[in-house]
Amino acid sequence: MAVTKQAPHNASRTKPESAGKRLLREHKEVALQSWRRLWLSPLANLLTWLTLAIALTLPASLLLLLSQAQHLGPQLNQEHQVSVFLVPNATLKQGQLLSQELLAWPDIAKVTYISADQALGNFKTSSGLADILDSLTDNPLPATLLIAPENTAQTPPAVAQLTQQLRQLTLVDQVLVDMAWLDRLQAILAASQRVTYSLAFLLALGVLLVVGNTVRLQIESRKQEILVIKLVGGTDAYLRRPFLYAGFWAGLFAAVLAWLIIQLGVSYLHDPLRQLAQSYQSQWQLQGLGWVGSLVLLATSCGLSLLGASLTVGRQLRLIEPQ
Amino acid sequence: MIEFQQVSKNYYDKPALVNTDFHLQRGDMAFLTGHSGAGKSTLLKLIMLMERPSSGKVIVDRQDLSQLSRAQVPAHRQKIGLVFQNHQLLLDYSVFDNVALPLKISGYNERDSGRRVRAALDKVGLLDKEKLSPSVLSSGEQQRIGIARAIVNKPKLILADEPTGNLDPALSGEVMRLFQQFNQVGVSVLIASHDLDLIQRLPHPVIQLKQGHLSGPFAMAGH
Repeated sequence: MAVTKQAPHNASRTKPESAGKRLLREHKEVALQSWRRLWLSPLANLLTWLTLAIALTLPASLLLLLSQAQHLGPQLNQEHQVSVFLVPNATLKQGQLLSQELLAWPDIAKVTYISADQALGNFKTSSGLADILDSLTDNPLPATLLIAPENTAQTPPAVAQLTQQLRQLTLVDQVLVDMAWLDRLQAILAASQRVTYSLAFLLALGVLLVVGNTVRLQIESRKQEILVIKLVGGTDAYLRRPFLYAGFWAGLFAAVLAWLIIQLGVSYLHDPLRQLAQSYQSQWQLQGLGWVGSLVLLATSCGLSLLGASLTVGRQLRLIEPQ
Repeated sequence: MIEFQQVSKNYYDKPALVNTDFHLQRGDMAFLTGHSGAGKSTLLKLIMLMERPSSGKVIVDRQDLSQLSRAQVPAHRQKIGLVFQNHQLLLDYSVFDNVALPLKISGYNERDSGRRVRAALDKVGLLDKEKLSPSVLSSGEQQRIGIARAIVNKPKLILADEPTGNLDPALSGEVMRLFQQFNQVGVSVLIASHDLDLIQRLPHPVIQLKQGHLSGPFAMAGH
């Protein structure tokens, strides 16, 4: 137990280290240490991560569905046509003239003229009611113009305006646009969007609270250590760091788990949804998260968890003071 | 090294220290005695900035402590080696990691830190125990680990709160000899203790506290 002669004051260190380098090294050490600490209670951590993952999965998958369903609308709309039924006494000549006139309108891309006779012929072959229709003395079907609006005029208000203009023409008896379902789809999407955003907001709060509470419990269980560190001169930053990293790791693992759940869900729903879309003559397919989506999920999860941890850690550490 | 100027501390109107004046010179070693509740811990807490005085001025290493903000407290504590009665070791850390804690806080890298920790453990004679958990050591050994932790950062001042409180006379004498050795190389040492037998056998001045009042020859300006 001999005391060797030494300078009582802080002796200079062998190699001076720049502040940035030191900070980087300290962060690396704490990151590794908090990583190792995760595996001391793997089950408890896994449960926390799963809770967070579920809270992330719900809004993330709804947002994924929504963003892809919005592509669904225009795709179906492109095949949409406005049907213009002419008055019964309109002549063939009048119909052809009108169709040429309409083709010159800026909002109209294509006009197909179907005369009353053609319409009856089509109906006979498609309905299989040829015998009954033959027995009719008059052709009950009007001549029809099938109008395809320009791509620029595909929006619901533009189509509505076009319909209005067509109705004012004297030769026109009736204009049919099956817009209602499109409007409904838009309304449903808009409503679902708000529901999803509200849900995402609430569940983000949930993530903050779960991480905050986890960190609070961790701080509570390491109270003795924190007290000793404070007594030997640990700074707030030094004390905060391991808990912030714990929050970060929780966010990272939650993101990975949520990603897995979402991709599994996508592959589970992919086929039935494609069949549904095909029944509407759509090539639409449900896609997975992709690179951007995955990165957004990761950043959101880590960011929220870090925020949750930092909101809690400062307040909790202040509560622990050596007495 | 430590200077108290008319320092009083009240807890809910109950005085713990009353108009205390004393001065521990740089490089001195002194004892602080008194019955429990006489104000010993209060005095140490004021030096460690675990408490702030109700009135008066505490100066440590030429620094007026009232000038230090909350954020400056850690740097102040890093300058002081603190030894506790119940050693305050972390049982889920190894002996090595316990001693290394102040160095880690000060940002030492692993190599420098390892060198210093081993030097400190060597000084308290426990170099061969660095990998063990403190829980498997005897109370005398635990106290020496606590001392190694207090000196590893080479502080100018060591404060000890009843460092021999749980030890038998032989171990107590050994611990005191350690403090004397640090004092011999220039470290200021202040030891709170009620082990009067031990204190009287050692040639160091004694600060006596009685119900918050300082008494005895040490009361003014050192010895």
